[in-house]
Amino acid sequence: MSVRVNTELKEELKRFGVNEWNECFHCGSCTATCPLTEENHLFPRKAMRYVQMGLKKKVVTNVDPWLCYYCGDCTTTCPRDANPGEFMMSMRRYLTSVYDWTGLSKLFYTSKIWEFVFVILFALAVILSFILFGPAVDKTLTAQGGVKLNEFAPISIIEIGDWTMAVIVAFLLISNIFNMFYKIVLSDKKVKVPFISYFIEIRQLIIHYSTQSRLLKCKKNRSFWVGHWLLMTGYTIMFIVVVVYLPWFQTEEVHSFYHPQRLLGYYATFGILFGLSVAIIGRLRKKEEKFKFSHMSDWLFIIMLYLVTLSGILIHIFRINGMPMATYYSYVAHMAILVPMIMIEVPFSKWSHLAYRPFAIYFSRLRRAGIRKQNIKINQLATA
Amino acid sequence: MGEKCNIGIFFCHPENGHLITLDWFDIIERMNNISRVKIVWNSRQTLLIDIDEFAKIISENDIDRIIISGFDVGISKTFIASAMEKASKNPKEIILIDFMEYGISNESDKNKAFSFVECAVKGVIFDPSEFFTNNKVNQQTLIIGGGITGIQASLEIANAGKKVFLLEKTGTIGGHMAMFDKTFPTLDCAACILTPKMVEVGQHQNIEILTYSEVKEVNGNPGNYKVKILKKARRVDITACIGCGICSEKCPSKVYSEFDSDTCLRKSIYIAFPQAVPNKYLIDESSCIYVESGKCGVCVKVCPADCIDLDEKDKEIEIDVGNIIVATGFKTFDAKKTEQYGYGKFPNVLTSLEFERLINASGPTGGEITFRSKDKKGNWVFAPNNGSPKSVAIIHCVGSRDVNHNKYCSRVCCMYSLKLAHLVKEKLPDTEVTEYFIDMRAFGKGYDEFYERIKSEDVKMIRGRASKIEQKNGQMYIRSEDIINDKLIEEKVDMVILAVGIEPRDDAGELEKILGITRSDDGWFMEANSQSNTNESFSGGITIAGVCQGPKDIPDSVVHGSAAASRVLRNIMKGKVKKGFNDFSSSEIISIVKEFSLKMEGKS
Repeated sequence: MSVRVNTELKEELKRFGVNEWNECFHCGSCTATCPLTEENHLFPRKAMRYVQMGLKKKVVTNVDPWLCYYCGDCTTTCPRDANPGEFMMSMRRYLTSVYDWTGLSKLFYTSKIWEFVFVILFALAVILSFILFGPAVDKTLTAQGGVKLNEFAPISIIEIGDWTMAVIVAFLLISNIFNMFYKIVLSDKKVKVPFISYFIEIRQLIIHYSTQSRLLKCKKNRSFWVGHWLLMTGYTIMFIVVVVYLPWFQTEEVHSFYHPQRLLGYYATFGILFGLSVAIIGRLRKKEEKFKFSHMSDWLFIIMLYLVTLSGILIHIFRINGMPMATYYSYVAHMAILVPMIMIEVPFSKWSHLAYRPFAIYFSRLRRAGIRKQNIKINQLATA
Repeated sequence: MGEKCNIGIFFCHPENGHLITLDWFDIIERMNNISRVKIVWNSRQTLLIDIDEFAKIISENDIDRIIISGFDVGISKTFIASAMEKASKNPKEIILIDFMEYGISNESDKNKAFSFVECAVKGVIFDPSEFFTNNKVNQQTLIIGGGITGIQASLEIANAGKKVFLLEKTGTIGGHMAMFDKTFPTLDCAACILTPKMVEVGQHQNIEILTYSEVKEVNGNPGNYKVKILKKARRVDITACIGCGICSEKCPSKVYSEFDSDTCLRKSIYIAFPQAVPNKYLIDESSCIYVESGKCGVCVKVCPADCIDLDEKDKEIEIDVGNIIVATGFKTFDAKKTEQYGYGKFPNVLTSLEFERLINASGPTGGEITFRSKDKKGNWVFAPNNGSPKSVAIIHCVGSRDVNHNKYCSRVCCMYSLKLAHLVKEKLPDTEVTEYFIDMRAFGKGYDEFYERIKSEDVKMIRGRASKIEQKNGQMYIRSEDIINDKLIEEKVDMVILAVGIEPRDDAGELEKILGITRSDDGWFMEANSQSNTNESFSGGITIAGVCQGPKDIPDSVVHGSAAASRVLRNIMKGKVKKGFNDFSSSEIISIVKEFSLKMEGKS
């Protein structure tokens, strides 16, 4: 097998984050310190070696960066200040751009201007469509004293928008995941995954997505897990409710406080805000290793999600208190931030890790099953 | 060249690694004002990339000579020389003025730095090797530090017939080498090499040993120093003590033995080891019951020679010397700082120095490798017949090559770790010994062969810096990456030896102030030139030797000690002391420069 050395790989990677990994002299203490490293998945040192040697093929087919949850132990014990933790984070950014076949991800990660241009374009498109398709501004209130939101933003139209967006994002994300699958599992011709494993290992995917238990293996991440899990569940609930059950969720009728519609909404809002505040405070204080370096894409994601949540809260407050114009303005603002956030962050940027992380575990387990099968064969041959 | 010669100055800024507080802008401005200086380049603004452009500037300004001054000046020389050739000037007209070589690092050296440049503009390289002090040199020498380097240096000087004072902080000379069991790579017994030398020092007519003493103050000039020495109260009269040991036997107070690296206990009145020189007892005032409470005095009652005076006070003496050799050595890295290895938490994680004592036939167990245990009073010590380890791990680079501790390589750890591995295999052939290393630095004569030999002795070599020691159910586990075999190691281990690096001593800073010499960024004493003169400091009469200048193994330390002695003997024989850069004031330099330029003018 021929190995190609890509001398530009290092320079290319520099644009995705910090570049101290050149310092690494391969003592292996980061790998040995890592609580998540295991047989067949020795990281972060090996990936640093690949980058230093310019082995691009090894780098893009490497699943290890997704298995790292950035507790920062490797960075604190590193004798060379090579910052392996942030290296893994940069690799995740890089890999996101590698899996994305459209090339937009790379554009967004490496250029602030393009990312902002796209955000603003999407936002303007949303605002324009509200203006063009003539919002029915109805200042009268319902019998309960709530705002007639459904007159302003008819559910049937919003639902169409929802589903279109969901289909586009899903198409992009799924094709990217397939690209990832091809790179990690299929491109390695030596490993043949047993067919049944594809079904057995799906369990792992679901378990990990819902519990994120892998995060708990890092001692330093245990408190972070609470915020992260609340954020994830809050976001998932909100997503399902808004896309699938919009008629049930966006009502003119003001339900009592204990109605499941309101309780679910409150939980989701709390979860997202809590998780976000952990990240914001952490990134501002810069005490923990994982928050010390913030890439532009990290901040953009946090700020957009924060604004979406905030405008969502405002809609709710204005609506139940019967303030029609305020409700409508915040509704437009909500949409104008939400749409670019979903369209840019989910398939092309940081938010995509919601799919890549659990799938990485799935793929790594598939690979392992393949290697196991292969080893059994080799052993049989050896004994025969 | 004479008066018409036009001069350019290329100033090189210090790059990483130089901790320098000097105001460049001022220097550069003043350089511009020297007569005949046409142009001053600055390495931050003029990057040496385009030779043609640089040559153009040279020919435009008609520059005949270029002075490269500043830091790391050699790097720019080839470029500038070829540029001068292109400009059809004589490329040999380049003068290098390396500030580092001249010992310039602080704002206070600014005038001096400027004088060196001015001197070069006049066409003369200021060379202090031509300058000696005028006054007569005192023929006596003070050597600070009684380790192998100090011993070697004092023997060289004393054998040349000159008087030496050998000053030692502890109660006996010998230093760290006396603690070692074997030396690498020949596996000679360390004591067999060292103790004859110690005895020779002890009996030499020209050597006066000042043990249990410290330097307090140094006054005077190179060639004539007055040194105030604090002689701490030994409380035992050296001249009368017969070394019978009855006092120590009866002494009720016990503390950890420093000489045994805290692996066992000693009495409060003690002798560090049986071959100590002087072989006389000593009372450690920090643990003596009499000193503490005024009651006890058992030792006085039992002493047959009647040589103990418990009320003795510290004394200060003053000696006159012409030269001083600093050979203060090192201390080992405090392994407690690397928390991941659990030193101080797990009893069977040892530093290499502790293990060195444990395996030594004169050590706490008589050379038996046992586990650490608690004695009756609850002190952790090593005692014989306490089980032996089935697996021993040796972790390299503890505290060395680590930005969190010391950046430098300590130079000796790889080799002594190999030696310790051999010693374990020799005493316990069935025990598994594993070395966890980053790079194996076997750099000396016979060292790499020694490495090959140890590998053939069934010692496991793992390339990978072990990351932590953990304890589960009383069993220690070591975790490391095995880089060569692409595996993760998590193995049971009974005993862990941390190959701790070496550091400057805690009191090095104090000595630096007393002697008026300098230290480099990492804390070791600064040498006059890192390549050609590692012995002399920037002060003429003070010579540095051994590990206190930078990590060295035993053969190198011995050589360095001898080399230091030769510099001292040169000063004594010549009757004048060579001046160091610190011994010139800037006005002195300027007057020398003037003298030179007058001479030059007279010639032309």
